Amino acid sequence: MTSIAVPYEEILQRRILVIDDEEANLLLLETLLKREGYSHIHCLSDPSQAIEKLVEVDPHIILLDLMMPDIDGYQLLDSFRRQSRPDEFRPVLVLTADTTLQARRRALSLGAKDFVSKPFDVIEIALRISNLLETQILYERVQGQPSDASG
Amino acid sequence: MSKGPARKSGIGCYWADLSLPFKGLVLVALPLVILIGSLGSLYIASDAEARAEDDVRRAFAIQRDIYQVHALLAEAASGVRGYLLTDQNRFLEPFYKAERELPLTLARLDDAIEDEGVRLEFERFLEITERKQSGLDALIALARSEGERPARSDAVLSALIANKAVLDELRSQIEEIQRQEGILLDARRARVDTVRARFLALTAISAVVGLLGSLAAVFLFSTGVVRRIRMLQANAEKLQAGDPLNPFPDERDEIGRLAKKVDRASELLRARERDLREGEERFRLVVEGVRDYGIFALDPDGNVTSWNTGAERIKGWRAEEILGRFFGTFYPEETRDYLPREILERARRDGTTEDEGWRMRKDGTRFWANVVVTALRDETGRLRGFAKVTRDMTERKRAEEFLKLAREQAVAASVAKSEFLSRTSHELRTPMSAILGFAQVLELDREELSETHQTSVDQILKAGRHLLSLINDLLDISSIEAGGAELKEEALSINDVLAEAYDLSGPILRTANLDYDLSLLPEDALIMGDRRRIIQVILNLVSNAAKYNREGTSVRITAERVENAVRVHVLDDGTGVKDADISRLFTPFDRLGRQKIKGVEGTGLGLALSKRLVESMGGEIGYTHRTDIPKGADFWFTLGLARAEAAPRKVPSAETSEEQP
Repeated sequence: MTSIAVPYEEILQRRILVIDDEEANLLLLETLLKREGYSHIHCLSDPSQAIEKLVEVDPHIILLDLMMPDIDGYQLLDSFRRQSRPDEFRPVLVLTADTTLQARRRALSLGAKDFVSKPFDVIEIALRISNLLETQILYERVQGQPSDASG
Repeated sequence: MSKGPARKSGIGCYWADLSLPFKGLVLVALPLVILIGSLGSLYIASDAEARAEDDVRRAFAIQRDIYQVHALLAEAASGVRGYLLTDQNRFLEPFYKAERELPLTLARLDDAIEDEGVRLEFERFLEITERKQSGLDALIALARSEGERPARSDAVLSALIANKAVLDELRSQIEEIQRQEGILLDARRARVDTVRARFLALTAISAVVGLLGSLAAVFLFSTGVVRRIRMLQANAEKLQAGDPLNPFPDERDEIGRLAKKVDRASELLRARERDLREGEERFRLVVEGVRDYGIFALDPDGNVTSWNTGAERIKGWRAEEILGRFFGTFYPEETRDYLPREILERARRDGTTEDEGWRMRKDGTRFWANVVVTALRDETGRLRGFAKVTRDMTERKRAEEFLKLAREQAVAASVAKSEFLSRTSHELRTPMSAILGFAQVLELDREELSETHQTSVDQILKAGRHLLSLINDLLDISSIEAGGAELKEEALSINDVLAEAYDLSGPILRTANLDYDLSLLPEDALIMGDRRRIIQVILNLVSNAAKYNREGTSVRITAERVENAVRVHVLDDGTGVKDADISRLFTPFDRLGRQKIKGVEGTGLGLALSKRLVESMGGEIGYTHRTDIPKGADFWFTLGLARAEAAPRKVPSAETSEEQP
């Protein structure tokens, strides 16, 4: 692992999009991520604007709540998957208060890369996010097409 | 059955008992024998007649020959006399002729004469004939010795006279013979007449006897064969019609035996018919008596031909009202046009068919019917009609519909409840997420906080985690009660499960500073249950022991085989539970006043949840005081054994437990 280790600074440069209808949760994640050192954190509390925001921000990772009014997270997961290019690796981390097995299975089968029940352990969340981003960077290196990290 | 009329006795009986070939022989032979007899007698008669006529003819021949002898002699005598007178030799010609022919004629006569009397006369006639012949010979010789002289001596004259006398004697002898022959001839003629008359009579008698014989043969044939065959035929016709047979004489020829067989066949047939009728009658009574099933028959066109009580009860039609009517009457208007024909067609094609649907009663009300139609075919495969069994399923249909509705409602209720639980879970967890999350963020930078703030953050985290576990347990109980608990029951090795639970619960015991130990079953057993839930129960019990066993020093997990189950014990050596409290142990939120014990955390739901989990897996949970040591608690629960044939399966532990902070 050490030989291909990714500098933590590179991870912290990645763009993160957080979608949750609960302002408190958005704030919590934003606070946590800022504290970790991430500099590009975008929060969205209105899921109907998710696609626009996605195009606008072009995030490296999406943190998504599943239970939201109007559009639920499953629909968004599906749209993200259909929007993505075949060679693209843009992980979605699902955060939900729905602890049932079905929810977990459904989310993962729709392309979510990870699944965490609320309430979550903040340290665990931070680790999972950085792990996913590290994997993404390694993937890009293998693909030989480093994306523009400056935003 | 019939012993027959009284048997004829004697010849009649003998005749009747004769076998048919013998009867035929008699019938043919009788006229034939009579005919041959008549022919024989005719032959004898004609033979006798011929012989009589022959006799007559012989008598005539004798007469003729005798006259010829007389003529020859008379001519010879005349010739001799002429010679004597003339000395001319030509007068001797008749003499020589007589000399030549007489022996032949006499020999013939000798042969022909048979009658003794006549023969006597004939012998005298022969003697006279010889005397005449020798007289003539002597005369000729005398004349030749005298030489040629015109006058003859007296010797010649006397010889002539003597000869004449002999001839006269011959004549009288001839007359005598003729007389006697005449008598004979008359007798013979009379005999011929007699024979002829007898022959005529015999012929007449033969004719009559022959006629009578033929009549007798016809009579015998008629009585012995024809009449009885007619009777047999009549009986055969009765047999065919199923009537009782006429009594038949008990005779031993082929016809008699055949008649007996026909009689026996009729008896068997009637016995069979009687059985059949009784069987049919019983069957009819059974069918008619059936009240819960409408059983009726249709002809090949679908018209009703029989009707039972059940059909009357179900459909409201009485037999006399419905017999002969098309069964489409039972169908409601919307299906009447096609369904009856379709059902018959299906039955015709497949042998039997079943249908369920609305049918109509006589009064127009509807009932839900289950109908089975079976095609009835005879042994040649020709369609004879249909049997139809109808059941009124209206009640069942209603019950089914009610059940369906109830089920739908229950499902809807269950869905609603699940939905509610899911929403509640979400609604409770979301703010908890913020509370605990922010508290955790604060805690991450606790060195920047004042001591008071640090304590505050600790309190928020402590209370928040307690509230979260409370929410989790509550939702767990609710989901079990809603029937929505996702139990994944499978055959499990109890020792594996106990070992896993032991490993997982180790840290709890260590923080409580208690000895912890596990005794596995000496012989592993397969139990049925949800691995995760069983472990959850054990963890609950162990953490209870850890919390409340303040006075004791150890906690132990053991298991034992009981009947068809395994009983798992979580034992401690603390104060145990007071008798008065035992009944409240498994009640939600009842912490037996222990919430006051300093530092003991608990939702008050652990045992209640454990009870529901164990019960949902078909087991029992309970508490008893320990008896092996003076004090201590024994919390136990049972798990049913997997059936022996169920193979042990290693459970992939992909299904992880809910993540909780």
